[in-house]
Amino acid sequence: MLTRLKGGHVVDPANGRDAAGDVFVEDGVVVEAPQAGREADETIDCTGLIVMAGAIDIHSHIAGGHVNTARLLLPEWHRAFSSRPGETALSRVGWTTEETGLRYAEMGFTTVVEPAMAPSSALHAHLELADTPIIDKATLVVLGNDDLLMSMIREGESAGAIADYVAWTVSASRALGVKCINAGGSAAFKENVRQFGFDDVVPDYGVSSRQIVKSLQTAVRDLGIPHPLHVHCNNLGVPGASSDSIAATIKAAEGDPLHLAHIQFYGYGTEGKRRFSSRGRELAELVNATSEITVDIGQVMFGQTVTISSDELRQFAGSKQASPKKSIIFDHEANGGGVVPMDYKRKSFYNALQWAIGLELFLLIEDPSRVFFTTDHPNGAPFTTYPDIFALLMDRGVRAKWLDALPKSVVKMTSLPEIEREYTLAEIATMTRAAPAKLLGTPDRGHLGAGAVADVAIYRPGEDKAAMFGKAAYVLKDGDLVVRDGTVVKHRYGRALTLRPEADKAMKTRLDRYFDDRYGLSSRWFEVPDGALGREDPFKVVPCRA
Amino acid sequence: MTGLTFRKRGEPEERLDLSPLVPARLAGLSEREVAALPVGTSRMGLTVGDVFEVVGGDPSSICFAGGSTRFDRIGEAMQAGGIIVEGDAGARLGRAMAGGRISVEGSVQGHAGSGMSGGVIRIGGDAGERLGGPLAGEMSGMKGGTIVVSGSAGPRAGDRMRRGVISISGNAGADVGSRMIAGTIVVAGTAAGTPGRLMKRGTLFLCTGAETLAPTFLDNGPADLLILTVMARDFAAGEVGPVAFEGMAMRRLGGDTAVLGLGEIFLPC
Repeated sequence: MLTRLKGGHVVDPANGRDAAGDVFVEDGVVVEAPQAGREADETIDCTGLIVMAGAIDIHSHIAGGHVNTARLLLPEWHRAFSSRPGETALSRVGWTTEETGLRYAEMGFTTVVEPAMAPSSALHAHLELADTPIIDKATLVVLGNDDLLMSMIREGESAGAIADYVAWTVSASRALGVKCINAGGSAAFKENVRQFGFDDVVPDYGVSSRQIVKSLQTAVRDLGIPHPLHVHCNNLGVPGASSDSIAATIKAAEGDPLHLAHIQFYGYGTEGKRRFSSRGRELAELVNATSEITVDIGQVMFGQTVTISSDELRQFAGSKQASPKKSIIFDHEANGGGVVPMDYKRKSFYNALQWAIGLELFLLIEDPSRVFFTTDHPNGAPFTTYPDIFALLMDRGVRAKWLDALPKSVVKMTSLPEIEREYTLAEIATMTRAAPAKLLGTPDRGHLGAGAVADVAIYRPGEDKAAMFGKAAYVLKDGDLVVRDGTVVKHRYGRALTLRPEADKAMKTRLDRYFDDRYGLSSRWFEVPDGALGREDPFKVVPCRA
Repeated sequence: MTGLTFRKRGEPEERLDLSPLVPARLAGLSEREVAALPVGTSRMGLTVGDVFEVVGGDPSSICFAGGSTRFDRIGEAMQAGGIIVEGDAGARLGRAMAGGRISVEGSVQGHAGSGMSGGVIRIGGDAGERLGGPLAGEMSGMKGGTIVVSGSAGPRAGDRMRRGVISISGNAGADVGSRMIAGTIVVAGTAAGTPGRLMKRGTLFLCTGAETLAPTFLDNGPADLLILTVMARDFAAGEVGPVAFEGMAMRRLGGDTAVLGLGEIFLPC
C-alpha cells in the first residue's frame, strides 16, 4: 500500500531537505515518488505541518534491573499516578513498559536506547523491552568493572583476546554497543575507595581507569561496533573533580571516537562562596575543539525524580541527599549500582545551576551532530519533560522567563542569559534524528530518504514549541499510523536493534570455564535467546563495520 | 444549627470513596451539588445522591446516619470540623487528617488515621490493621493527634509512628508499634506478636503484658518513674481518658537494639 504524506514542510537534514514537499511510504519503508500515473492508496494531508523522521533517544533508562528496583523502592508513586494524574513529574511517565512506549510515541520518538544493561540482567532488560509497545529499542551492555576484563588487562592479554571477550558479551546480551560506567570505580568501591579519578588504580587489579577505557575503546573500534564506546566518566557530580575527570577522558580519546554521557553532571567547578560553579563554557569549548568526541547532555529539569545508576560509588555518596530519604545500593558483581530518589528544586542554588549548566552546554556546543538530546531519563528528569526542553532550546523568550524564576544568585553564576542562540528546526532534526542514527550505526533510520524505515513524526507548528513537540499530529512506525493528535491509535510492537559480532571459539570455551568456576553457572545463562521473549521476531540485527 | 446528615439508603454494591465529604470541600455547596458529587469506585459512576439521602445543615459538622464497611476514606485530609459515623466505616478513615474530630460508633478497617498529623479519632468498636500506619512506600505513619480505640486493634498498630498518641482499650494485634520513630501507644489488653519490633524511639505501655518480646529488647528493671504518674494524670484529663497503667507498678525494657534502641516498653511488674 502506497501512502502519501502530502504537502508538509519536510525537515530532513540527512538528505538536505528543508522545504515543502511529499514523502511516500510503502510496505513500511520510505520510497521515491512514484512514476506519474500511479495514485497513492492513502493520503495524509500534512499541509502546514512539519514532517520529520521519528526521533531517537540514545540514552534513557527504560528497562533492566535497576529500573525495576526503582519501581520497588517507590511504590507511593504508582499510587500517585492512579489517583492524582499529573501531580508529580514521574507520575506522568508512569512506571510500566506500556506507558513508556506510549508516551515516547506520542512525542514522535520511535527508537530508544537503554544505555546501562548489566550482562547479568540482559534477559530481564530484553523481556521488559519486548513488552514496551510501539518504539524500537536497543541496549548498551556495561563492561569495565568486571573481574574478567580487569584480570585480562592486568595479565597483559592481547587486544585481540579482550576484543573477543567484548564480542561475546555484546553478542550474548544482544546489545547495540558497549558502555563503561565509572571504569574501575565500582570495583575500587568494594575496597573502600570513595574517590576515584581517571588515573587512579583499582586495588588488587592494579589497573587504572584510563587503561580500562582505552582497552574497551580499542576493542570496540577493532570489532567494528558502529557506536563508539559510551563512557560515563569518573567523579560524576563532584565539583572540580568532575570537570577534571571529563577533561582527562576527552584528551584520552586520542583521535578515536568516544561518546561521553550526560556531561551536564561534569560541568561543575568550585568557584563562588558555595564552592559550586558552572564550567559549562570551558567544557563546551573542549568538546568543540575535539572532533572525535560526541556527547549527550543529561539535562536537569525541576521536580521529583529518581536517579538510577550503575555508578555504585557515586550513588553511595548521593544516597545522603535522597529525597524522600530512602535509597538502595547494590554492592554486587561488576558495577553494582544504586537507586536514589531526588527532588530537583527550582529554588535550590545547586539544582538551578545544574539546570543552567545543561542549557549552556546544549547552546555552546556548536555542532548539533555531536551533542545529543537527553535528560539521562530519569536521572536529570523524566523523559516527559522533553517538550519543555525543546521550547527552552528553540526560544530565547522561554529561557528568559525560566531564568526570571530562578534565585538571583544563580543567574550571576551562569552565562546563560547572554547566550542568544536558538535552535532551528533543522538543528533539532539533526540532534534528535540524523546524528543519533549515524552515531548508533543504523542508517535505516533518522532520515526520510528512500529505503529508510518509515518512522515518521509529523508536528503541528506553533508559537508554543512545548505543545508542538509534546503531542505529535501524526506518527508512523514502520509505515503504520500509530499516533494521531498526540494519542496512540494503534498498538503494535517494535523490535530491539542488536549486533552479532563473532567471538573466537576459544573464547567461548574459556568463558564456559570462567562462568562455571566463578558463578557455578553455564555461560549459556547469560545469553538472551530469541525464543525467550515471546515475540515472533524480537530482534533486528545491525551489521558491524567491515 | 444541626449538622449535614448523610442517611444511608441501603448497602452500596461497591466500595465508596467518601474523601470528598469533608467540611472544607462541602462548605458553600447546595444540597443538590452535594448530591451530585461522585463517590463510586467502579464504572457505575455512583454519586452521593445514589447512596445517601442528604439532609441539609451546617457542613462543619457531618453525620453519616448508618455506616458500612464499604465506606472508605471518610474524613481524608480533613482540616477542621467534625464527622460522626453511626455504624461501621471502611478503610483509611481519617487518613492524613490535620485537625477536627472523627467519631465512629462501630468498627473500622485498615489504615485508620494513616499519616494523620492532628485532630482526634475515636473508634467505638475495633480497628483494622496498621492503625495510624503509612501506606506502602511512605516514610512515616501517624505524625500527630490522638486515636482512641474502645475495642481491639489489628496487626501493626502505630507502624512507623512519629508523634501523637494511640490508646487501645482492648488487645493489640501482632507487632504493635513496629518501626516506631517516636510517639506513645497505650494498650490496655495484651499485645500479640513481638511488640515494638524495630522501634527507634517512642513509648509503648502494654498494661496486660506481651505475648513475646524480641530478644533485642533489654530489661531495665522496675521503673517507678514520676513521669508515668504525670502522663496518666494528663491523659485522664485530656482526649485519651483514664489509662490502665495509672497507679500500676511497671517494668521498663529498652529497645529495639536491632536499630537505634532508644525506644521503651513498659510492662506490669
